[in-house]
Amino acid sequence: MALDPITSEIIQNSLQAAADEMFVAMKKTAMSSIIYEVLDMGTGILDAQGEIASSGAGIPAFVGVLDKAVKVIAAKFPADKVREGDVYATNDPFYGGVTHLNDIIVAMPVFAGGRLIAWTANIAHNSDVGGMAPGSLTGEATEIFQEGLRLPAIQLIEAGTPIAPVFEILKVNSRMPDVLEGDVWAAISSVRVGARRLTQLADKYGVAAFEQALSDFMDHGEKVSRAALAELPKGRYALDEEQDDGSVFNVKIEITDDRFIVDLRDNPDQSPGPTNSCRDGVMVAAQMLFKSLTDPRGLANAGSFRPIELLTRKGSVFDAQEPAAMGFYYELELRAYDLMWRCLAPHMADRLGAGHFASVCGTFIGGIHPDTGRQYTIIEPQVGGWGAAAGRDGNSAIFSSFHGETYNCPAEINEARNGVIIDRMTLNTAPGGEGRETGGRGVIIDYRTRSEAGYVTVGYTRSRFPAWGLDGGHAGSPNYVRFIPAEGEPREFAFVSNMKTRPGDVIRVITGNGGGLGDPKDRPSDKVAADLRDGLISADTARDIYGYEGEA
Amino acid sequence: MTETDRSRTIRVATDVGGTFTDMVCFETDLETGASRITTAKSDTTPPDFEKGVLNVLAKGGVDPATVDFMAHGTTVVINALTERKGVKVGLITTEGFRDTLEIARGNRPDFFNLHYVKPAPFVKRYLRRELPGRMNYKGEETQALDLSDLAGILEDFRADEVQAIAVSLLHAYANPAHEEALLDAIRALWPEVSAVGSHQISREWREYERGNSAVLSAYVQPVAERYLRRLESGLTEGGFGGQLYVMQSNCGIDSLEATARIPITMVESGPASGFWGAAELGKLIGEPNVLALDIGGTTAKCSLIEGGEVKIMTDYWIERDRTSAGYPIMVPVVDLVEIGNGGGSIAWVDDFGKLHVGPQSAGAVPGPAAYGKGGSEATTTDANLWLGRINRDYFCGGAVEADMEAAGAALQTVADRLGVDRDQAAQGIVRIANNNMVNALKLVSLNRGHDPRDFVLVAFGGGGAMHAVALAQELGVKKVVIPTGASVFSAWGMMMSDLRRDYFLTALADLGDGAAAALEARFAETEAQARNQFAAEGVAADKVALKRFGKFRYQNQEHTVEVPIDGAVTEDALARIAADFHDAYEKEYTYRLAAPVEMVGLHVIASAEVGKLTPVEQPLSDAPAGTASKGRRSVDYAIEGTHEAEIYDGEKLLPGMRFDGPAIVEDPGTTIVVHPGNRVEVDRWGNLHILLSVTAETPTLEAV
Repeated sequence: MALDPITSEIIQNSLQAAADEMFVAMKKTAMSSIIYEVLDMGTGILDAQGEIASSGAGIPAFVGVLDKAVKVIAAKFPADKVREGDVYATNDPFYGGVTHLNDIIVAMPVFAGGRLIAWTANIAHNSDVGGMAPGSLTGEATEIFQEGLRLPAIQLIEAGTPIAPVFEILKVNSRMPDVLEGDVWAAISSVRVGARRLTQLADKYGVAAFEQALSDFMDHGEKVSRAALAELPKGRYALDEEQDDGSVFNVKIEITDDRFIVDLRDNPDQSPGPTNSCRDGVMVAAQMLFKSLTDPRGLANAGSFRPIELLTRKGSVFDAQEPAAMGFYYELELRAYDLMWRCLAPHMADRLGAGHFASVCGTFIGGIHPDTGRQYTIIEPQVGGWGAAAGRDGNSAIFSSFHGETYNCPAEINEARNGVIIDRMTLNTAPGGEGRETGGRGVIIDYRTRSEAGYVTVGYTRSRFPAWGLDGGHAGSPNYVRFIPAEGEPREFAFVSNMKTRPGDVIRVITGNGGGLGDPKDRPSDKVAADLRDGLISADTARDIYGYEGEA
Repeated sequence: MTETDRSRTIRVATDVGGTFTDMVCFETDLETGASRITTAKSDTTPPDFEKGVLNVLAKGGVDPATVDFMAHGTTVVINALTERKGVKVGLITTEGFRDTLEIARGNRPDFFNLHYVKPAPFVKRYLRRELPGRMNYKGEETQALDLSDLAGILEDFRADEVQAIAVSLLHAYANPAHEEALLDAIRALWPEVSAVGSHQISREWREYERGNSAVLSAYVQPVAERYLRRLESGLTEGGFGGQLYVMQSNCGIDSLEATARIPITMVESGPASGFWGAAELGKLIGEPNVLALDIGGTTAKCSLIEGGEVKIMTDYWIERDRTSAGYPIMVPVVDLVEIGNGGGSIAWVDDFGKLHVGPQSAGAVPGPAAYGKGGSEATTTDANLWLGRINRDYFCGGAVEADMEAAGAALQTVADRLGVDRDQAAQGIVRIANNNMVNALKLVSLNRGHDPRDFVLVAFGGGGAMHAVALAQELGVKKVVIPTGASVFSAWGMMMSDLRRDYFLTALADLGDGAAAALEARFAETEAQARNQFAAEGVAADKVALKRFGKFRYQNQEHTVEVPIDGAVTEDALARIAADFHDAYEKEYTYRLAAPVEMVGLHVIASAEVGKLTPVEQPLSDAPAGTASKGRRSVDYAIEGTHEAEIYDGEKLLPGMRFDGPAIVEDPGTTIVVHPGNRVEVDRWGNLHILLSVTAETPTLEAV
């Protein structure tokens, strides 16, 4: 059936508005700073089969998650079983959860004219879902059972009535039960808001028009992607890259007239630790890069991603099997993403610049707030330096490609809420990223703890091999932590799990500079002079690397 | 005051925009209370802006010497910011935090775009300097302020030709003592430099937002002060001896002195007066819940007014959209949503055959195709003309001859790309534009837990009345009110403004037993500060009205819900305050929790009336509306099809008149589109009330 194009357009615009509305509702009511401040969350609207039609703001790595989750939920609870007012949840990567157990996906079926017409869904990082370590993430986990409570696509609410035992199980399994409960309710209110809007839309325009508009919308997404795909250089590309732990990752990408084929089969076996991703996770990585290459400004829905084909090997780090631990999946997803980027960058200079710090730099600091006596948990991804790209220097201090509309935590709020002292938060002026166009700067943040019996967990990659330069530009600088105890010798690391801290210890987070582009000797001298004046480079660097002859 | 006619008062609103300087004069007969309204427009005259103001007064036949009261609005601050025409600023901040301004919040709103460019800070790194000294979040000093490097820093600033200094120290919102000491020391060493501390602009936490606000305030301060001084002296030379006030972003007006010190508070003053006007109008006509919509040439703005109160927030950003993080300015600004959809918005069809309207605008030049000034792209105005909604023989109040050939050609281009005819293209443009505006209205209403059915839609600006009914139908609003003089409604709003200051303060407190005394003390302290500030400016204490609000949340949350607090905070009152919070929270977010409640901050509104306009009721006329009819014409109502509509002359409609749609009311400044099934009634003040559907129970205005 052909739908009048204006009505179709209006329904599609309204889907976007509803996804945004869901996002705002969730952000404003969440209890974890990782949700309301960092915005480690996403919202979306899916058709009755679970194909993503529209997504709200948030982080790009979550855009491609919701469809995979809802498809698993919809398969388990078919249309004749779900009822109006039901709400479902999953967090398990082996049951549609894609990521790790901290991320709970909440989904609600939407009805109009007596039948299922769509789903609304969201995903957010919860502060603690149980498991062997506070915050549920630890480098020591060897099985998913150690990483928290598993929700294998289950029902939370039946026809509007919360299933009390399920909520009790959720709460009793968390070290922060009230926060978990608050965050789950924030998610529920968000899917309800979205569902109400969709029902209104379908009632107003008719169920048939609504469904047609969704279907047209996804076909439109596909058309846009295919048109852009036609512009990409065709060919086969491949890359091997050594990782911080000495293993070697491989990618092969083939771009044809109508397909974008990513082959990740030739990669190591799954890790005994938590640095694994499920297949869905690396599919999201492929979708993110494909979207950036084809239509970065436009809508992203199921249609946009139809040209992608992904090949993985079961039992490898990129397609880990149960019961693999998955806590640090995000670093693997980023590694896969960066691998694809680096593989294609030399062939697409106008689209892809040099490498960025490319790690979430997830930092977990906890303890007892010395002023309130309450437990606090800092869960922060960090900002870092991005690579130089054709014609411009890289951005300083923004989140990695995994995160998007994500916010760092102000020092004033960190000190009040968590009882730590932020001694400084500055740009990283370490050498690295020199080039005709320079990499952006990472940051240095000092967290001084005041808590007895505190702990810190981090898991950073790109610590041995920093952001890569391009076309003669220098590599960036590494991501790592320098731990400066009140008593004893300082030490440096990129992975640590649940390390105890004492009052006065300083956890110095150092994130890398992005890679440079082009020969530094070709950098215009006025720009070198400005960098020198701004204290971003030393006189030696100006002279030796940039060949600067002016006054220092 | 010079010789004035004691039988009347003259109030004038002047507004300096980027292109035009506008004036609206309200001459009020003291005996009858009736106001005669004159308007005039002339060119803006940079850099001698005061000339444009004097010109526009002369053009409107207003002798400055006879003006009792003038409210002045200006885009000088926002223009200086967006055109980067401020001064060179040096920043002094806490040791370890010089890069806060550049690190900002690290977000990438345009997240799939790998060529995103982060907004550059307004102060380069070498002009961002640090001093040792720390406060903690409780406002206690943990390290003394060390000023020994200050003289050297100021020397460097002088050598680098810095013209203004921003000071932003950690936790200055909790205790400004270090910032004050530093500012004193700067003034002692360099008396003539402009200097501002972050605590003078905001007493709320978040060091990047507060610090950036201080920087942007410093950046525009010398420019704005020069502007205001010249305006003052220009008007004085012209004989003006009345009171001069400056419109602020919080819907209030403030003295020239206070504004010149911290001019950043003017940043979003443009839309504020219209929304204030809508709130005042709502109170006047007994409709305290208002959805206010202002449609101009380039954008549409909307805001929600509940219980007669405009909502003021400090979460304001410039240059922020889906593709850029923008810059925060933490000053009290009326809560509004703005979208790129106005009369001049361009309709375009993308590579995949999808129709869009805006955000590109044809502006004043070339303007819509129908202006005949060379515009070849179809705009919303062209579509409205084509559909007969705007009278082609009375375009722009008869001032412009509509170039229908150009409009038709422009629409044909859109139609060809869509594969439809011109009528359908024009209908599509109006429907898409309406949908964009409906989504914006939903953002301020539904999105915040309000049901539009509980509100009336007050529409103004040049294009508000054209789209209002269609939007109201979509939202379920039952009544639309088009104010008399809708196209100069913002000026009317300025005439209704109070002297007003909004104080926001971060103040963390659990809402448990024994919390009341400390909370009451914080409120009392803030109110005393407000009273003292007004007293210092000669405003009598009994004229100052104070209102209290608390910002609350469930423990561990971040975002707060603002709840009004009546009377003193006592132990007995705490339970009621908590109950009010739970109710407000559930209304906005659909659920409530048993979790502990904490207060995060307070908001005090201090206002003083300074002789606002008193609207006068007119007797209701018995004359039938037909006496104002200009005839009939065919009008295409898009979804509702084409109808023969009665055309009314807005200037001939009298209070008490009543008629039904389909109809069009033509006013020199605006066109009011009345849909089939609507009933229109003119109230005692000349405002048009459009009832969307007429039923047997529909009350008439005589009951008002």
